[in-house]
Amino acid sequence: MRKHWKRTAMIATIAAGLTLAGCNSGSGDKKEAGPTASASTENAVNESGFPLVKDKITLKMFTRIAPSNGPFKDMPVFQDYEKMTNVHVEFTEAPTDGFQEKKNLLFASNELPDAVYRSGLTPLEATRYGAAGQLIPLEGLIEKYAPNLKALMDQNPEIRASITTPEGHIYAIPGIVTLNAARTDKKWINQAWLKKLNLKVPETTDELYETLKAFRDKDPNGNGKQDELPMTARAGVPGQGIPVVNIMSGSFGLDQQLGYNINLVNDKVEIWMGSDKYKELLMYLNKLYKEKLLDPEVFSQKEAQYLAKQASGNTGFFFDQTNNPFRDIAVQYVGISPPAGPYGDRLQAQAAPIARDFGAFAITSENKYPEITMRWIDYFYSDEGSTMLRFGREGENYELKDGIPYYTEAFLKSGNQSKITPYAGGGAPHLISDKVASFINPPQVQAAQDQLTPFMPKVKYGAPMFDEQTAQRVNVLTNDINKYFEEQSTKFIAGALSFDKWGEYQSTLKKLNIDELQKIYQDAYDKMKK
Amino acid sequence: MKSAQAQMAAAPPQVRTRRGSGLFTRIAKRYDLYLMLLLPVAWYLIFQYGPMYGLQIAFKNFVASKGIGGSHWAGLEHFTRFFDSYYLGRLLWNTLSINLFSMLIGFPIPILLALIVSEIQNKTFNKVLQNITFIPHFISVVVIVGILTVFLSPTGGPINSLIQGLGGEPIRFMESAGWFKTIFISSNIWQNMGWQSIIYIAALSGINPQLYEAAKMDGASRLRRIWHVSIPGIVPVIVILLILDVGHFMDIGFEKILLMQNNLNSEASDVISTFVYKTGILNGEYSYTAAIGLFNSVINLTLLLLVNRFARKTAETSLW
Repeated sequence: MRKHWKRTAMIATIAAGLTLAGCNSGSGDKKEAGPTASASTENAVNESGFPLVKDKITLKMFTRIAPSNGPFKDMPVFQDYEKMTNVHVEFTEAPTDGFQEKKNLLFASNELPDAVYRSGLTPLEATRYGAAGQLIPLEGLIEKYAPNLKALMDQNPEIRASITTPEGHIYAIPGIVTLNAARTDKKWINQAWLKKLNLKVPETTDELYETLKAFRDKDPNGNGKQDELPMTARAGVPGQGIPVVNIMSGSFGLDQQLGYNINLVNDKVEIWMGSDKYKELLMYLNKLYKEKLLDPEVFSQKEAQYLAKQASGNTGFFFDQTNNPFRDIAVQYVGISPPAGPYGDRLQAQAAPIARDFGAFAITSENKYPEITMRWIDYFYSDEGSTMLRFGREGENYELKDGIPYYTEAFLKSGNQSKITPYAGGGAPHLISDKVASFINPPQVQAAQDQLTPFMPKVKYGAPMFDEQTAQRVNVLTNDINKYFEEQSTKFIAGALSFDKWGEYQSTLKKLNIDELQKIYQDAYDKMKK
Repeated sequence: MKSAQAQMAAAPPQVRTRRGSGLFTRIAKRYDLYLMLLLPVAWYLIFQYGPMYGLQIAFKNFVASKGIGGSHWAGLEHFTRFFDSYYLGRLLWNTLSINLFSMLIGFPIPILLALIVSEIQNKTFNKVLQNITFIPHFISVVVIVGILTVFLSPTGGPINSLIQGLGGEPIRFMESAGWFKTIFISSNIWQNMGWQSIIYIAALSGINPQLYEAAKMDGASRLRRIWHVSIPGIVPVIVILLILDVGHFMDIGFEKILLMQNNLNSEASDVISTFVYKTGILNGEYSYTAAIGLFNSVINLTLLLLVNRFARKTAETSLW
């Protein structure tokens, strides 16, 4: 009896082992077969209209959740859209803090979701993961299943140019912004203080300097103390430039083309990081910093601190896309034009391209329903879909006035505005047009944008796409160059490094092969022009 | 280990007669002991030696979809890139100097503290002193850096208020390369000296009291007693701890340095481990940073071997 039991157990074990092995090889085969031979034969995608699919399917997506967002599964847009499409989306949420790290580890471990949503992939990442086969090429799917996105790309050819690799592949879809006002940071100045001190809006950098000095010394808030903060800006993320430099660069004739510190002069690419004009910009900022006109915490403050300074009303001059952070005291501020620099340069250089948020959405090789996924995301590139994403439910969250959605007063009072939409916090894959901008683009912001529009460059080229090898090379170069550039610039501004060392700074940039980088960008630009 | 030896000794005599009959017979006889050993061995294999398989990506161009084994060989490309890097000199100097200074200044202080504690006769005062020096060890690094930022803030921080009160200019401690190492090392000492002194205090209490009495009889002063009895009594412990410290020579304080780092002090605060984190994890350059990490470990191992050898020759105490 006992022997018999043992034998049975053994057979059962072997059988189980074989079954498991069978399972393994089975799933392995599926992976190799790739996404093209997908399961869409059994559960076909509807070519148009809703729902997207007959039997309910589930897609796993990896996404970024901003501090102000609520859980994605509770957002009305995704609840309602699931009913519409018959597609259930399971979001894995990673907080903004440390998101880059989690995203990289996801791809490095090759345990991929079906798609990445609001993923902020860099061009290098898109190329790298695309070439490695972790992201699938989307150009065919866009052609067939994404009528809204396709229409936008046809109307604005620069979108296609800025997301297509030299091999002709599109590995990631950007967030698209046709609304000018959502692509710039406005220059907000405290008009209450201007009026009190009897000053006019500064038109040049010198006037700006005098104005800030008056803010500092003449006690415009009237409390008898010198506690005013004349000027502040975001601190910025390492490797992505210094915001206060980007904001002021236009006044010194420094544009930001091709997504980098680049001037285009007669079709010549000029990286201006070592130029004399840049030196003058740094000297100007250094003067402001030294005299405590520029916030001493401008390089170290956290985002929350910066927003609090905006809302405090005790700040003279700062920069932000909307007036939302200081909505309660908005009348105190007015948007101004970029001041003219010492050589008469007057440019709004800081401006994102129409494909503002690169790499906002991508489909991985694990996805069994790429067609359905493409149709799923495409809806958000229509005004209708974007309204749903940004405003939630009609009646409950918003109402239509003349066809334009506005949040209801009752809903705004609840303080949940940024909780119910994935656009708050930036980077969501959708269309931002003037139709859906009532909240971020109220008349005051529009007026501030009108101050900037005449000074915006005629064409704004986004960052070019390189082939994989070049992209790697660019990465190696910019890693070192950007680090050096940011560190030294910060030190020049803060006065930790004297301008006697400018020659040394220039020669080190040369040593870091900035000329090679310029050549690579030149080639990319020439290809783009063709 | 001890219990194993005890069991060996207690084993019946007939085992001895069959001693030469092969390893497997011996293992079979003492299978229970070997089973106990299995767990730590498995732990080492899985968590310490297993990951070493991944080290090969330092010599490859790692592509996740091809896996560690399937990625293409790149030879020494990543090492050459690091040795040619503009930042190599600075990274090496900062890593070495921060650790060296930490050790030079930080290592003797817990010993001094332990000596003081063991000399103080007043029990209550002793306990209070030990607790006060001991507690900071349990504060998390994030909080420590937060405390530093607040205390050293140029606008309203107590230290700078004091400096201004005395008529000086406020100093931007956290944003200056010159101050970084001082702040980093001294706050480390403040945080850890109590904790590190525990072992020394234990070692000191193990010294035979007769030695002290004999020294007293010979007319040795208190300082003499410390110098000739206490310190020689704990030298073996000191040497072992020194070697263990050297073992961590290249990798201490990563989180704290990362938290304190900014563009203005990175001249002094950029170390290998933070560089690896920033380029490797944040930029996804796994092969390059694996190469740097490997280089770091090689230096570490070399240092450990050197110190161990030195200790064996001079102090006749060593790890092996």
